[in-house]
Amino acid sequence: MMRSSQTFTVFMTKVAIVHVVVLLLLAGAPRFSGAADQPALSAEEAYRLGERMYREGILPSGEPMQAFVNGDVPVSGTSFTCVSCHLRSGLGSIEGQVSAPPTNGRLLYLPREPYIKGYEHVPSFHNYAVYFQPRPAYTDETLAELITSGVDPTGRSVIKVMPIYDLEDRDLEILIAYLKTLSDKTSPGVSESEIKFATVIVEGTDPVAVESMLAPVEFGIARKNSLTNASAANPRVARMGYNMLGPDLLQKKFSLSRWVLKGPSSTWRAQLDAYYQAEPVFALLGGISEGDWEPVHRFCEENRIPNLLPIVDYPVISDNDWYTFYFSRGVRQEGEAAARYLHGMYDLFSGRAIVQVSRDSRKGNALADGFRAIWADTGHPAVIDIFLKEGEQFSQQRLQEIISELKPAALIVWDDAAALEAFTGLPALADRPGLILASGTYVGKALWTIPEPLRELLSFTYPYRLPQDDIRFDTLALKVLPGKKYSDYDQKIIRQSYITNELLGNALMDMRGEYYRDFFFDVIAMMADEYYPLYERVGFGPGQRYASKGCFIVQLGKGENPQLERRSEWVTR
Amino acid sequence: MGLRIILTIRIFTILLVIFCLTGAEAGAVKYERSVESVTIPDVVLVNQQGDKVRLKSLLETDQPVLVDFIYATCTTICPILSAGFANLQRELGPEAAKVRLVSFTIDPENDTPGIMQEYLDRYQAQPGWDFLTGSRQDIDRVMKAFNAYFRSKMDHQPLSFIRSQEDGKWIRLYGLMSSSDLMKEFQQTGGK
Ligand code: HEC
Repeated sequence: MMRSSQTFTVFMTKVAIVHVVVLLLLAGAPRFSGAADQPALSAEEAYRLGERMYREGILPSGEPMQAFVNGDVPVSGTSFTCVSCHLRSGLGSIEGQVSAPPTNGRLLYLPREPYIKGYEHVPSFHNYAVYFQPRPAYTDETLAELITSGVDPTGRSVIKVMPIYDLEDRDLEILIAYLKTLSDKTSPGVSESEIKFATVIVEGTDPVAVESMLAPVEFGIARKNSLTNASAANPRVARMGYNMLGPDLLQKKFSLSRWVLKGPSSTWRAQLDAYYQAEPVFALLGGISEGDWEPVHRFCEENRIPNLLPIVDYPVISDNDWYTFYFSRGVRQEGEAAARYLHGMYDLFSGRAIVQVSRDSRKGNALADGFRAIWADTGHPAVIDIFLKEGEQFSQQRLQEIISELKPAALIVWDDAAALEAFTGLPALADRPGLILASGTYVGKALWTIPEPLRELLSFTYPYRLPQDDIRFDTLALKVLPGKKYSDYDQKIIRQSYITNELLGNALMDMRGEYYRDFFFDVIAMMADEYYPLYERVGFGPGQRYASKGCFIVQLGKGENPQLERRSEWVTR
Repeated sequence: MGLRIILTIRIFTILLVIFCLTGAEAGAVKYERSVESVTIPDVVLVNQQGDKVRLKSLLETDQPVLVDFIYATCTTICPILSAGFANLQRELGPEAAKVRLVSFTIDPENDTPGIMQEYLDRYQAQPGWDFLTGSRQDIDRVMKAFNAYFRSKMDHQPLSFIRSQEDGKWIRLYGLMSSSDLMKEFQQTGGK
């Protein structure tokens, strides 16, 4: 017999005993009283410990929780725990053909019917509701039994996918108390008739960029509100709206406030706090800054306010932060992609040097930092770094010196269009590096003006779908600008904000009337990868916070009206 | 896109998804088993250490091979599949390194070597269990070769394969199987 099965048998015996003890305890007055030798916990402490079990799989004692999957596989809580399947909001997950039901107290302690009250005739809600088996409301006792032995209140075993947990009474009590706090009271900013949003605008940002960020989101909100108005007046529209949105979302109007941040970024936090105090919003939509974003990021993190897709070049890079969902890792992502691309061809360099020239500017440093971080992971010898100080021109002479002294196999130049000048004499140079790579976004529009003989010598990072392929999205993007001239806007930002509008609409419809901030990001996490405008592919997933992960390496093609040509795939490893 | 159009399309997709869900639950009670011939594509993938791996050499070997399709931020399916792999390694003890466990990511955009290593660490993976990523194109080729193509993570299904040491054919296992069933299947195909 296998070891795990033995453990399982022992465990099941223990479950039976614990179960009897629990029942005995429940028969007496204090429910779920902890063992006598353990001190009482404050509510905050209990919450913290419950959250740690739920999110990290760690017991109050600091040991990992012990789970059994599929009836016989022992698994440590640190491999995965409640949050992996029931997600942060506790409102459950859907993945492929398997889904986990809600595990928040409010819904557990209600009977589950094969319909969602108030949404009986809304097709999507109906289809969701009939997926799960009906059951009576849980009590503390039946919930304890479900978690420790995998039997639900109808007597049905759920151990096929829901693990069972070996928990002491007091730990179980703490966990159940935590489940009762999950998605319990509707998040701020939501009332019966309205959902409030805000967008953060850093003063001094190019007005065309600001308008381009606002237009698609404001369009979506105006559309939604006019549907709400129309359905109040017209029963046919009302019926259609009901079928699509359900009665609740249909009647809620959306509002979008502009929170303009003035002065140095060190003062933004106080401004944000004041805005928020005056008007607690459900979430921040979009937002725009040409420089800093960190104070807004921190504000959202600390107040647990989701910020959906701000338009920024320098997002905060973090593996654990939760509340800001970015388009990408920003400028830095191009540097990272460059490192992966070079890594892929490293064998061709036969140990020769790699030189990275970077301007000592925010952009130059972000690119070079991104490159170095990924490069360090590959374990190759460090690159030779050369920094261009402010005002220092990258000249032909400098280029020649680098080539003749260092004979690099590859040269990376993180600078703006002015640096292109240095390459004028390149075709005539001996010992040219096999690869010269620059940033397509840093060089900007000049990318399209590179003279013919240089085109096959210079490569660029380009973090978007190639323009000739993205044209097919023009009509879509135009739909959010009815009666307006596309050329009045920044086409890149219109496309980004188009995505924000799409995600907002889709997320709210997936939320089944459960307006919890954590659920807002949970439903986005469950969305399929998408082919939206601008980015070749965007993807989601619990904890994924940078939607577009790719970048092409391109060269400018031949001819009068040259196109960019790919020299790499969207993602290189 | 007009909200109406968005809404209609959206609801249509929800309907499809839910429809699939209901269909699957009934079948989920017992896993399905079939025997397949798989032509391993000649691709070079990247493992959790960032090393390049030629797939043919990894899979076409005398050692027993098990394969599954997962990704690092997956919800319900991957915990179950990976717990199965981890348990198999535990059961095999010192023999674990002689059995090749190969998890392919179906989310190559997100799953970098660092993220994959972290994932394996969480499951206390022992040597012998590799997590592979690569270009979207190469990953697609692998999925198609195993007749396990997921257009997107949201189409993810619980699928594992065991390579028969006798004839190189693959036993395809569909469903969230218990660890003892996985062990049984593994032993039947010549694993010890
Ligand atoms: C591997 C994924 C997974 C993990 C981890 C997990 N669950 Fe579940 N859970 C499920 C699934 C799937 C179901 C539905 C099973 C069924 O109905 O057959 C479920 C059911 C439940 C139910 C019953 C809901 C109902 O309406 O009947 C509760 C309560 C629950 N889980 C709580 C928890 C808690 C608390 C944890 C952590 C200690 C946890 N789950 C960990 C997947 C998981």
